[in-house]
Amino acid sequence: MKKNTLIYKNWKVTHRTLLVLAIFIISGCKKLVNVPPPTTGLASGSVYENDQAAISAVTGIYTRIMNSPNFVSGQGVTFFCGLSADEFTLWNGITNNAEIAYYTNNLAVNIAGSELWNALYPYIFQCNDAITYLNNSTSLTPAIRVQLLGEAKFMRALFYFYLTNLYGPLPLVLTTNYTSNALLSREPQTTIYQQIISDLHDAENLLSPQYLDGTLLVTSNDRVRPTKWAAMALLARAYLYSDDWGNAENLADSVINNSTLFKLSSLKNAFLRASLGNLEAIWQMQPVTTGQTNTQDAPLYIITSTGPSIAQPVYLSNSLLQSFEPNDGRRLVWVDSVVISGKVFYYPYKYKINTLNSPVTEHQMILRLAELFLIRAEARAQQGDISGAQTDLNVIRSRAGLPNTTANSQTDLLSAIMRERRIEFFAELGNRWLDLKRTNSVDSVMSPACIVKGGNWNTYQKLYPIGDVPTDPNLVQNSGY
Amino acid sequence: MEISNLGKGLPCAVGKLLPQQVRRAMKLTAILLTVVCVNVSAHSFEQQTVSFSGKDVPLTAVFKSIEKQTGFSFFFNYSLLSNSKPVTINVHSVKLEVLLDLILKVQGFDYYQNGKTIFVIKMAHSTSGDSLIGLKKGNIFLNVLKGVVVNSQDEPLAGATIEVVKEGKNILTDAFGKFEIKNAPQGATLKITYLGYQPKVIEVDENESIRIVLELADNKLDEAEVIAYGSTTQRFSTGNITTVKGEDIARQPIQNPLLALEGRVPGLFITQASGIAGTGVTVRLEGQNSISAGNDPLYIIDGVPYPSQMLPTTTGGPLDVLGSSGASARQPGGNGNPLGFINPADIESVNILKDADATAIYGSRAANGAILITTKKGKMGPAKVSLNVQQGEGAISRRLNLLSLRQYLDMRYEGISNDGLSITSSTNYDLRVWDTTRNTNWQRVLLGGTARYTNIYSDVSGGNNTMQYLVGATFNRNSSVFPGNFADQRIGLHFTVNSFSENRKFRLQLSGNYLDDDNRLPGHDLTSVALTTPPDAPSLYNPGGSLNWAPNSSGSSTWFGGSNPVAFTLAPYENHTRNLLGNLILGYKILPGLELTSSFGYTNLGTNESQLNPLIAIQPASRPFALSSANYTNSAINTWIIEPQINYDVFIGKGKLNLLLGSTIQQNHSNGYVLTGSGFSSDALLSDIHSAATIVSNSSVASVYKYDALFGRIGYRLMDRYLVDVTARRDGSSRFGSQNQFHNFGAIGAAWIFSEEHFFKHSVRFLSFGKIHGSYGITGNDQIGDYQYLNLYNTSAVPVPYQGISALTTAGLPNPYLQWETTKKSEIGIDLGLGANSRILLSVNYVVNHSSNELLTYKLPIITGFTAITENFPATIENTGVEINVNCIDIKNKDFFWKTNVNLTLPNNKLVSFPNLKISSYANSLVIGKPITILKVYHSLGVDPTKGEYVFESSHGVTTSSPSPGVDQIAIVNTLPKYYGGFSNSFGYKHFQLDILFQFVKQIGAGYHFGAQVPGERFNQPKSVLGRWTSLGQLTAIQRYNSSGSLASSWIYEVSSDANYSDASFIRLKNLSLSYQFVGSAFIRAHLDDFQIYVQGENLLTFTKYLGMDPETQSTAALPPLRMLTLGLKAGIK
Repeated sequence: MKKNTLIYKNWKVTHRTLLVLAIFIISGCKKLVNVPPPTTGLASGSVYENDQAAISAVTGIYTRIMNSPNFVSGQGVTFFCGLSADEFTLWNGITNNAEIAYYTNNLAVNIAGSELWNALYPYIFQCNDAITYLNNSTSLTPAIRVQLLGEAKFMRALFYFYLTNLYGPLPLVLTTNYTSNALLSREPQTTIYQQIISDLHDAENLLSPQYLDGTLLVTSNDRVRPTKWAAMALLARAYLYSDDWGNAENLADSVINNSTLFKLSSLKNAFLRASLGNLEAIWQMQPVTTGQTNTQDAPLYIITSTGPSIAQPVYLSNSLLQSFEPNDGRRLVWVDSVVISGKVFYYPYKYKINTLNSPVTEHQMILRLAELFLIRAEARAQQGDISGAQTDLNVIRSRAGLPNTTANSQTDLLSAIMRERRIEFFAELGNRWLDLKRTNSVDSVMSPACIVKGGNWNTYQKLYPIGDVPTDPNLVQNSGY
Repeated sequence: MEISNLGKGLPCAVGKLLPQQVRRAMKLTAILLTVVCVNVSAHSFEQQTVSFSGKDVPLTAVFKSIEKQTGFSFFFNYSLLSNSKPVTINVHSVKLEVLLDLILKVQGFDYYQNGKTIFVIKMAHSTSGDSLIGLKKGNIFLNVLKGVVVNSQDEPLAGATIEVVKEGKNILTDAFGKFEIKNAPQGATLKITYLGYQPKVIEVDENESIRIVLELADNKLDEAEVIAYGSTTQRFSTGNITTVKGEDIARQPIQNPLLALEGRVPGLFITQASGIAGTGVTVRLEGQNSISAGNDPLYIIDGVPYPSQMLPTTTGGPLDVLGSSGASARQPGGNGNPLGFINPADIESVNILKDADATAIYGSRAANGAILITTKKGKMGPAKVSLNVQQGEGAISRRLNLLSLRQYLDMRYEGISNDGLSITSSTNYDLRVWDTTRNTNWQRVLLGGTARYTNIYSDVSGGNNTMQYLVGATFNRNSSVFPGNFADQRIGLHFTVNSFSENRKFRLQLSGNYLDDDNRLPGHDLTSVALTTPPDAPSLYNPGGSLNWAPNSSGSSTWFGGSNPVAFTLAPYENHTRNLLGNLILGYKILPGLELTSSFGYTNLGTNESQLNPLIAIQPASRPFALSSANYTNSAINTWIIEPQINYDVFIGKGKLNLLLGSTIQQNHSNGYVLTGSGFSSDALLSDIHSAATIVSNSSVASVYKYDALFGRIGYRLMDRYLVDVTARRDGSSRFGSQNQFHNFGAIGAAWIFSEEHFFKHSVRFLSFGKIHGSYGITGNDQIGDYQYLNLYNTSAVPVPYQGISALTTAGLPNPYLQWETTKKSEIGIDLGLGANSRILLSVNYVVNHSSNELLTYKLPIITGFTAITENFPATIENTGVEINVNCIDIKNKDFFWKTNVNLTLPNNKLVSFPNLKISSYANSLVIGKPITILKVYHSLGVDPTKGEYVFESSHGVTTSSPSPGVDQIAIVNTLPKYYGGFSNSFGYKHFQLDILFQFVKQIGAGYHFGAQVPGERFNQPKSVLGRWTSLGQLTAIQRYNSSGSLASSWIYEVSSDANYSDASFIRLKNLSLSYQFVGSAFIRAHLDDFQIYVQGENLLTFTKYLGMDPETQSTAALPPLRMLTLGLKAGIK
């Protein structure tokens, strides 16, 4: 029949084409939508299976810290805590509301306060990721795996140390599971310190006693990777902050006693990079940014001949300048000044290289031997070892060209140590602000100091506000904010 | 009976496929009242001879005699023969045929034989007619009508429908536009229809071969609309589609064709980021379906998908001068808009597809609708050259009323004294150093320039019936209103070739577009600087022409931030983009109605950007501590796509069936990097990366997106009255985790053209067209960026690697379970045509879209390491809308016409459900039952009359000056437009034509009455701040002046409170175009067949109460859209 052939013909053509098309599609489907991982990144698992990538990942933490000046360099702990305490004066031409808020101790969530919280928790994530994978990794060179695990634990302790000192009780994030982490509530400070101390004990056991280069297998004259000694130094500090004087003394002791590796430098050389012979350095960090191959602190604090500006917004407060004893070498070597329209502006001059593209002679100092002498002095004083405390305090004073301390009672000695710490560590990682708080002298010092800065002091201001309250239902804001 | 059995036993659905004669027989069976059957003889018809002799014998008697002699029987209708005359005849042994001819043909009867039966019928045509050719084919007697259907350019229209009206028979023209109707009845009426052309009804007359010329549709109903993988008309569409024609786009002096859609398309809301050439444009079609994934429609240019966002460049840097195109958190985009690199002059039409019926065939890409752009094609005929030259000027259309010099100085003094500070403080440069008698209007100086616009377009087109071509070229230049020499300059080329094989079964269409855009801008939009620079600020330039840094006595610049406002002009931004689109379609017609096609598309959108930061743009005192630097961005998006398809049109019963089956294989490759060079030895070398002392790669993109799909569509149109359309697609996308790569989408649409019903035709005469249509379907959204399911470490490059080791950092939280976001779209609409030829055409659509399985950027507390993760979330968002469109030909006569279009959209958006919203991270930004675009803000209680400071209501009802973020944001502001639309009129009088388009939006938005900074500080302010608090007990809207920053916090809270939002509605005379067409013998002699001059204006007037710069951009940092006025000349040369 003609009609049937016509239909049949139609269908035959359609059928055949359909069949071809269908085979084409079914066979190709899965393949056609599978893509290889991007060439711009590495999958997490593969990172910790290979020495080079694993080193890159942990070094990535240091790189991030030094590339985004929000923690140990630039506008980080030093800057904000310096503004909050009685170290800096904010130039009156500054209209930056965040800087004004830190300076007048008048922080508000919508203006400023949570900068360091926001900066450090992402670093903790990377530490947690590294610890998780390194614990399970079997394909790395053992020495490298152990060193990296130690570094990650050391860094996590360092981050928690600053976080708890700035914000008080904290959510303790130890995994990378965001579902559970997003609902964490705050743990008391003692729990945080327990974690810090435990991480540092692990780090002390895991980290190499030698300073290593980027291969983690060869020693280096620079001291830009954490070592056993850095872990012990930070542990001494953690014990001191948690009033565990005996342990603080013991750990400080161990570091100080390693006199082949560590020696106090002259004031002038105390902030040089370790490879230039600065044996005071226990741990430094290497600058990574363009042009400023020296530190970011120098161009921030050294006021140029045109005077304070948005780029150099702070100078040293009168109160700090007045607390220097006469003939203190640190006043001469670590402080400099510029005269603008008859007014003298004094500024921190620990880091001296603020010009661009100069040879790299300075690294960012994080832990140095002088602190351990003062930790041990304080621990000894607290335990009633007056002469031991005096000895340690005098080590620092004599380096500054000052006579031995006259304090001989426990109380006097402790306040002498505090004064010494204020001078020794000014403009250095918020030591002053942290000391004021841990010794409970923050109200008595800041009440008058805050008025000088144009604000009003309230006790709640010793903690900064946190920014995560709207996103984590279990987080409670610090009271007062 | 054999005959009748055969007829009854066949289903009507295959009627078309039956041999013609059988169908004829079936008809006869029904018609004939009497059947005569006689015995059967052994002789064949041809051999049979007969004899007959008689005078005035009735025909029936002759038949009887023949039956006796031959054994053949006669089959006829007695009523047919009732008019026959008796015959007188005398023949002996003649062929039966001869006798029958003698007795029947002279009387207007005809016959044919089948088996042993001779059927007697009425002759189909008068005997004198030649147009029906009586064929004797074998022993079958047939009438065949032949013809060809062409358009006015003489191009054959393949696939046109020829309907033989009374018989309900349909056939399609072949590849040459030819058709052949067998056994066409005499005086048949043929109805010829072809998409986009006016239907034509003809009575078959006496021409041997009919030539039917169809004219392009002149009413909105029958104009062609491009849809996914095909085309339709408004008359027969089951979906919601709006078409904007190229000529409407050509009336607007714009560079981005999207801007020509503003105010023209119901359901489409377009916002331009600024008035800068090349600016970002945000497009929202029928609302926002996604909270944080992309909300861009799918762009398809000549069948090839086109990017909706540029690749990201440096983030947060000065490169944002172009402004964003509404990129989302999870689908980051660069600045500017990719459609800005499509030449408006190359566009033939833009079709906006909205509902599920129109879009579901695009599957996972179509949740936000689709915008189809068709470029111009060549037309048959001798080569024709057209030329269009346009030149004009633009300027900002609105300025803000700012404080005068006196008011500014008073504000400063008052602010300083309010804070108990000293005016003599050395840093109050504006009062102490600057000449306080100097008065400058900075809006005039920085934004008051004239932007010049030049556009030259020319094309050549022509061809014959097997090949047509068009080649066009454009030059366009648009300078800026900023001081300095900045301009966007582009050159475009476009070509298209259509070719057919000799048998017209094979066709090829090749088209290519290339655009080279060189956009030079200052590194920063100067608008905010113009609004905030104090009026007493010194001159920008020194007498020599160099920048005036206005140094103080110690050499430090006294400009705010130490930066001269026009320093940005020395830090130029250059965007060089090249866009190539190529498209090839191959088609082969296997059978009439059955075509196999495949399209091959390629796009390459490549951008080179550079942002130079020379030392000369930095104050001299800072130069020793600064580095000259430059950012270079190089990025490219490549897409290729192959789409084989089969399309089959067939008549089944009284309806036409369309089948489509196809497949898509697509790949996108996005590659890019941003390099920063620094430490150049001279500013002159900045554009050379090789001269940089240090080069750092800031970021790189290298992503692959693969997409694969199978799709199909079945459409059935019954009696041009009932339409149904079913589409389906199975999609796979590489953006999702391996468990969730594939998904099915589909839609059903139906329409009823009730005006075609008889009862309606006769009872409601004023309605010439009436259609109800509806659709329901599921579409998806995969705009979440690539590789979101992987846990990745990225390299973070720094100038000096830490210990020489390249660093890896975590890129984000992975989610291997990512899936599509699905949008269920339902829509119902009615189209009514009133008056003759549907003079008034009214369309009303009601849209309900539900989006669920939302791909949310789930906000996380930063303690998790990140601020967000992408997750599918069982939240449901509803977008509803009423879209009304009225097209009206108000007057049309020989000399004058007036056409009107009004469109109005009433959108609504609400969050229907969001499980556990209260404990989610969206608790403070979303509210169930409210739009997802709401802002939760503080509730301002105005200014405390005792303290002169803004106060707010806390969530506990307490009055406070420091409300808690996340807790006290108790007021809800809805910035979603309440309604928007456009109103356009076209007038033509003889050779004049005037087109006017108004755009209107009813909405609220953030205003500027509280100023851009805390009033009292070193910034100029709007006049509204004069109403500040000055004395105890005073009731005011503005808090006291403050210069120390102590009230900054309450000012920031106030700006993010409900008090900052006010009416931002506007009516804008968006476009006006007036043209005059010259005619006359002189022009014809000069071979000018189209010669016109015209004036075009854009953004000419804006009526608004908005308290800010521009109600559309609602930004104080972005240049408002420019008011343009151009003059042009258009000529066509034959």
